Amino acid sequence: MKSFIRFFSSVKLAITLLIILAVASILGTLIPQGRSAEEYAARYGGLAGVLIRLQFTVLYHSFWYIALLGLFGLNILVCTLARLSSKLRRARRPHVAADPKSLAASKVKDRIKRPGPLSSVRPETEKAFRAAGYKVRLTAEGGRASLFGRKRIAGIFGSDVVHLGLLVILGGAIISGFGGFKTQLPLKEGETAPSPDGSFEIRLDKFTTELYADGNIKDWKSAVTILENGAPLRTASIEVNHPLSHQDFNFYQMSYGFDWTTTTVEVWAKKKSDPAFLKKFVLKPGERAALGDAEGTEIFIRRFLPDFVLGEGNLPETRSFQPNNPAALVEGVRGGQRVFDGWIFANYPDFAQMHGAEGADLSFELKKYSAGQTSILEVTRDPGVPWIWLGCLLVMGGLGLAFYWPTWEIRAVLEESQGKTEIVLGGHAAKSRDRFDKEFAAVAAALRSKP
Amino acid sequence: MTESTLFTAAMILYFLAALLYFAFLFGRKDKSAKAGFVLAVAGLIVHSGALILRTVESGHAPFTNMYESLSFLSWATALAFVLIHLRFSIPRIGPYLMLIAVALMALASSPLMPKEATPLVPALQSYWLWLHVSVTLLGEAFFAVAFITSLMYLAARDPVKKDKLDSVSYRAIAVGFPLFTLGGLVFGMVWAQKAWGTYWSWDPKEVWSLITWLVFALYLHTRIVMGWKGKRSAWIAILGFLAALFTYFGVNYLLSGLHSYA
Repeated sequence: MKSFIRFFSSVKLAITLLIILAVASILGTLIPQGRSAEEYAARYGGLAGVLIRLQFTVLYHSFWYIALLGLFGLNILVCTLARLSSKLRRARRPHVAADPKSLAASKVKDRIKRPGPLSSVRPETEKAFRAAGYKVRLTAEGGRASLFGRKRIAGIFGSDVVHLGLLVILGGAIISGFGGFKTQLPLKEGETAPSPDGSFEIRLDKFTTELYADGNIKDWKSAVTILENGAPLRTASIEVNHPLSHQDFNFYQMSYGFDWTTTTVEVWAKKKSDPAFLKKFVLKPGERAALGDAEGTEIFIRRFLPDFVLGEGNLPETRSFQPNNPAALVEGVRGGQRVFDGWIFANYPDFAQMHGAEGADLSFELKKYSAGQTSILEVTRDPGVPWIWLGCLLVMGGLGLAFYWPTWEIRAVLEESQGKTEIVLGGHAAKSRDRFDKEFAAVAAALRSKP
Repeated sequence: MTESTLFTAAMILYFLAALLYFAFLFGRKDKSAKAGFVLAVAGLIVHSGALILRTVESGHAPFTNMYESLSFLSWATALAFVLIHLRFSIPRIGPYLMLIAVALMALASSPLMPKEATPLVPALQSYWLWLHVSVTLLGEAFFAVAFITSLMYLAARDPVKKDKLDSVSYRAIAVGFPLFTLGGLVFGMVWAQKAWGTYWSWDPKEVWSLITWLVFALYLHTRIVMGWKGKRSAWIAILGFLAALFTYFGVNYLLSGLHSYA
């Protein structure tokens, strides 16, 4: 047990771990993380298998990296505890009695002779200490009095508070790892989905994309309603950077898509022989309408593709579900017979060409298309988060204490001889020594100049 | 007055300050150091004007692309120099830090950096942009001070000068480390939680911030607990600054990840 504590409380281990963690973390940014085995084989050849087996490809979630973090946490814990008891003793029961020799060996020191007996010089000294903001403790033995003045004792615990904060953060990360949960939730407008634990439902009322004047995306907004047992409870707007929290769950605006099953297209028909002929149709794929010619032809929207591309076998298909190249297949039908057909493109109006003799005189344009949008929300639950914030607060508070709340100590030993009293002063500051030296000099000067 | 006029004026002032400080370095005249400081402060004021104008014109924080963030980092470096000099009166570091400020501005004005203020993408529309980026860059500016004092420590011979440089390095890190922890890591995590739903994603920029933090933690532990000072401390501080530099700059160009803005 003793050797265990000695091992884990050594600063050398801490330094070794800091270096190993840094180097390992660098490796993880050089090796692409979480790719497929084929990609690693292509990139690293024979080395790929070793990298995968040693989990260098999922480095930050690897057994050994997490074990390193665990060791680091244990090291911090043992280190901090091992030093805490002596620090607490120093804070609560400091050694007040001092001897002049050891004070004279301090880095900051002074020696002052005052007229008057110990009984009058001692209160003067105490007053001077207090005036500079020092808490004073006293002890007397023999003909000698010792004064111990100290300010900002909390400063010595700064590093411990930082370490505690880091442990709380590591603990929070463990809670996140085991209790955390994250999933994507695509919702169409009007669609309702249950929360992951089934305790409530969320309905997407409206999804809007706001644009800047130059056409760039300004914001995505999902107007949602939270329902419990079918009854609306509250409405909210979810935006990027403005998630919605309900019960233990958070809903984030992640992405968006289109619900192409609700497509509507607006198609214009023109006749080359008759410039006055213009018909506008608003149709859904699968719907038909009278073209309005003498023969009684009907126009039929057979298909709609958001991202038209000629795929395998030269057959039209959609490359993605984003409207990169929207296209509609228009047909002319009469008496149950197809008399012409052709693809028309929203982005390339001149590209359209109708096949079939009767189509030669007609031209169609895909003027508009619209589809209900799907909002892709991310649902998370992370019970570790409050601990992370608490840990961060502790780390920052601890750093503030460690760097900007320096503990300063001034000791004095007073000895009387032949009606005079000699004050030997010694100061100690581990931090901000230059400012302490000035303050120490000021305290000494105040004692010296006492009338 | 346009933003670019003020920007150029500030750059010229910093450059003149650097020249005067070099004159001080070689001529040993206190007058040139004093004049250098006046010009550095004047440059800082004019530069602040440029940043304010940029903010008013674009309607958002002045660090949303590489041009803006380089300009802000240059401003932060000048500010860090002025503050450190006021506190520790160390004019010797003036020429180098002013040159860094000039170099950052020169880099910002290179034709490779797009300068137009563009509207903010949804992910950046948050007041955390202000908190996260400004505090982080301010922390990195103090690391830059420690970098310069550490290099100068390694080059210096006079033990009194060396002592002072070593101590100023530590004090600069004592400012930079808490700022970097707060801005880079804590504010970064809070914002990530708000925007992405995860406080930590092991994104390369996050990892490199962590690495930078680990290097400075190493600096503090070796120094305070093991009593390392001087040469070894200086090397760690230099390494830490290089890690911070890579976090700021290298990650964007060499590694890909979530931080694809600037």
